[in-house]
Amino acid sequence: MRPVAIVGAGMIPFGRRDDDNLMDMLAYASLNALDDAGLGDKGVNAVYVANMGAGMLNHQMSVASALVDRLSLMPAAADAIENGPASGASAIKNGLFAVASGYCDLVLVVGGEKMRDVSGWRATDFVASMTHPTAEYIYGVTLPGMAGMFTRLYMEKYGVTREQLVQVAIKNQEMGALNPYAHVESRITHEGIVDSWHSRVNNPPTADPLRLYDVCPVSDGAAAVILCPLDMAKQFEKIPIVIAGFGQATDTHTLQERDDPTDLKAVTLASQQALEMAKLKPSDISVAELHDAFTILEIAESEHVGFFPKGEGGKAVEAGKTKLGGQIPINVSGGLKARGHPVGATGVAQVVDIVWQLRHELPQERQVQNAVNGLTVNFGGFGNNVLSFVLRRGEQ
Amino acid sequence: MKHIDIVAYKCKACGKIHFPFHDRCLVCKKREFEKIAPQGNAKLITFSQVFNLPWGFDQRFIFIGVAEFENGVKAMGQIKAESVDELKLGMTLKPTWDVVRVISGENIYGLKFEP
Repeated sequence: MRPVAIVGAGMIPFGRRDDDNLMDMLAYASLNALDDAGLGDKGVNAVYVANMGAGMLNHQMSVASALVDRLSLMPAAADAIENGPASGASAIKNGLFAVASGYCDLVLVVGGEKMRDVSGWRATDFVASMTHPTAEYIYGVTLPGMAGMFTRLYMEKYGVTREQLVQVAIKNQEMGALNPYAHVESRITHEGIVDSWHSRVNNPPTADPLRLYDVCPVSDGAAAVILCPLDMAKQFEKIPIVIAGFGQATDTHTLQERDDPTDLKAVTLASQQALEMAKLKPSDISVAELHDAFTILEIAESEHVGFFPKGEGGKAVEAGKTKLGGQIPINVSGGLKARGHPVGATGVAQVVDIVWQLRHELPQERQVQNAVNGLTVNFGGFGNNVLSFVLRRGEQ
Repeated sequence: MKHIDIVAYKCKACGKIHFPFHDRCLVCKKREFEKIAPQGNAKLITFSQVFNLPWGFDQRFIFIGVAEFENGVKAMGQIKAESVDELKLGMTLKPTWDVVRVISGENIYGLKFEP
């Protein structure tokens, strides 16, 4: 197997993009990545497109075939990858395997989702269609509802507090306000969402004990990367970012069938595999992008990856250990909470943000100093299909 | 009261109870199961009051929970409650079978727990 590097990365601002359809967004992000790699009018061997719901949301199928046509990349191989909110990381995995195996030398991976084409309750129903059709979906459970039930158990078992969840939200929106690609670019204050008389209006319950500001927005967006063998990377201008480790694991479809529903086994296994492959420990990671679709998940994942012992993740947030400049900066991009969560794009966007960090090319107020190793966790379903990457700054 | 129309599956080899159905046992991977019905009342494992409901609901909120029946069957269901103050982890719930959702004009029946 050949070592694989990322030599191009691109994104478009997430949010509500009324003027762009899904194919526009996929094309713009792809072109940004191709330009970042300096590929100009050259082609690629294969294209992997991560998308969860174009059929349901946008009435469009075969999006990979459509994209290679749009970008005039024929006769490149093209496949669409659907793995729920972990589609992005799954698509990168496919690109990684294609290059590592020697089958392809140059691969474009792009993830995108156009969610704001439909009403809020249609989008909620679309995401809820990931749940078990007869044992969960029929009851009207939403993903925030799943997270609410998980949060209640996690609070009971590990003593996570409302205040710790609030601190995650404030931190990630603080960072999102500095990120020109973020959907939510406004800061929030403790007073505005907790203390003041109007906080009950600003921050109403969404899925008790979670409130509005514990939940990521529904977003449009796309992100893309270019992969090649590491020994080809010197042909490109930018510092190569090596995919040093990868892991993936699954868990039961329903939460109720897990022996301990607070145990995110797939997060533990996927991140352990990725770290072992990279021959690194959690303490070697300079910066992480975790799947904070809900504030509780940033805390729980930080513990399951091994950054903190179980029950200590919430305290670490309160102590500032996960802020920029802290022990392990988490979601410096703003995370899903602020960058947004166009489900098919998220796993790719996490990797793009880590690539930018490891190249040291972000503005000072968002750059983790001397970042060498980065880790991502892309969380599918409610933790039933999780992928993790460890990326390492290469040498030019 | 309508019959609780849920079938759980007990592995004939190791006794593991499954709901919903799996083709192979989650523990021992064997494929033969005995069909069992949930028995008795249920203990509340976790719950949430869910707002921002999906398409198809004409309510401001619903209560969703996971509960364990006296014979070990665990299942999700709606809970008949108006406030989180009515519910507590570990409390006993009475299972009923009622309309939980309307999809394309058709009543969908499922578990509704009563505190």
